[in-house]
Amino acid sequence: MTTTSAARATAARPARPRPRPGTYIAILAVLAITVWAGLGIEFDLTPLWTDLGRGWFIIQEFLAPNWSYIERTIGPFIETLSIAVLATLAGCVIGLGMSLLASRVTTSNPVLYRAAKLFLSVVRSLPDVGYGLLFFALVGAGSLAGILALIMFNIGIIAKLTSETIDAVDRGPLEAADAAGASSLQRARFAVVPMILPNYLSYCLYVFELNIRASVVIGIVGGGGIGSSISVEFARFNYANVSAIVVLLIVVVFLIDLLSQSLRRRLT
Amino acid sequence: MSASIPSSPATRRGAAPRPSAPSRLRYTLTQLGVLALVIVCLVLVDANWARLLEAPALSLNYGGLMVQGVVQNPFSEPYSQYWMDAILLMLESLQIAWIGTVIGALFSFPIGFLAASNVSPRGVVIATRQILNIIRAVPELVLAIAIMLPIFGLGPLAGALAIGVGSIGTLGKLTSEAIEAVPTGPGEATRSSGARTLQTLRWAVTPQILPEVIAFWLYRFEINIRASAILGILGAGGVGSLLAQVFERRDWERIGITLTVIIVVTVIVDQISGAVRHRVISGVPVTGAKAIV
Repeated sequence: MTTTSAARATAARPARPRPRPGTYIAILAVLAITVWAGLGIEFDLTPLWTDLGRGWFIIQEFLAPNWSYIERTIGPFIETLSIAVLATLAGCVIGLGMSLLASRVTTSNPVLYRAAKLFLSVVRSLPDVGYGLLFFALVGAGSLAGILALIMFNIGIIAKLTSETIDAVDRGPLEAADAAGASSLQRARFAVVPMILPNYLSYCLYVFELNIRASVVIGIVGGGGIGSSISVEFARFNYANVSAIVVLLIVVVFLIDLLSQSLRRRLT
Repeated sequence: MSASIPSSPATRRGAAPRPSAPSRLRYTLTQLGVLALVIVCLVLVDANWARLLEAPALSLNYGGLMVQGVVQNPFSEPYSQYWMDAILLMLESLQIAWIGTVIGALFSFPIGFLAASNVSPRGVVIATRQILNIIRAVPELVLAIAIMLPIFGLGPLAGALAIGVGSIGTLGKLTSEAIEAVPTGPGEATRSSGARTLQTLRWAVTPQILPEVIAFWLYRFEINIRASAILGILGAGGVGSLLAQVFERRDWERIGITLTVIIVVTVIVDQISGAVRHRVISGVPVTGAKAIV
């Protein structure tokens, strides 16, 4: 520390890195999009204090759920659970097949692989309600529309998650299967599927959790189950009944999540 | 397979015996359980399976009508109007999703710090986490119909706010988990050079979590685009309201046009958002690094 000038020269404070122009452009772009979007939807928080009174009586009804209505919702709830179970099962089986097609590891044919990827991204781009409306128009109101809509919804999610897991799979067993002369189907069945099975089952349970929530939404557009009850009571302005259904729904969703999470923890 | 062992144990006394196949009892029981569950559900569910047989023919018929709507000259009346309606309302859906994501990001960022056990006191962490759990337990749809629509009326603003509050729940949780996973080195370095708590959070924690958190925001934006379509069906603006209308009138040509717009715009936005996410997470591509240095 005696040779201060030398020390100062060697340990000079490094220059502060200049912010890159890209950062400013990105921030400006985000601000511009936010302003455009805010103007587009007429963003305005004043109703929060000016119109609180208008909404207050509805919120009050929500705060006093009509508990006696609950026993009449048990049937629709069982319906919703059945829809979710059946749709999860069918969606997961089809999704596994699609994910094997949509991974380079299991599908060597580039055309088939690209086609499967494109198909899945189209399937995923339609929201669950879109499928609800579509199948409602095709097969009429009721559980069947809900099941079919949820199957499509599940295929998209399961195939995306599982195909990414397959992409990251350990190559050892694949080489072993190839060396033993396995066909591509045998290779998928005995080398790939056993490796991804714990993850895949965990995704299936996750999708089941999502399905309980989604089947409510799909029920509102005519897919049967508890969603239909919500939309009927909502249309009759029975907010106390809607509130009772919602409270029960939150409890059911919470219990299913707990169950599924404990199962998933054991799987992985 | 195990039945076809050629040599008896007597002739190969020295060799290790082939291990017996692991028990498949649990596997079989699980399979039977799932099968029983499916049968119970099939009995309970009140589905009109017969209509499944008519569906393929009908879907061909309707699909044909939808394609007819899409392949018409989009610049001729009335199709240009249909396309414009769908595109404008889809843009409104994007705006709803964007504002919802911005609200979620702005609020969830500080909340994430409050809910991270390595930067906040224990009491605050538990309280904040409970609030986030409650928000996540309530579906956005319920938030919209119970709170936002009564106060803000029918329109895109109610949808944006419902999506925003819903986003706070998941984004807050993900942010707090990212903060908890941060390596302690940079924090110790800033503290040893005399930084206060707030300075440590600003200069040691935030730079480490920022790429991951921005990726969460973009991911949530992709989810919110789909959510805003759902809320539209309840009257919260966006393309969902148009979709519900044209389905009600069974106007298959317009349904085809609207679905095409939704799918194309969603795929494009997903691609852009995915590319930005990839860029944020993995940094500047190697080829571009030269130009900056």
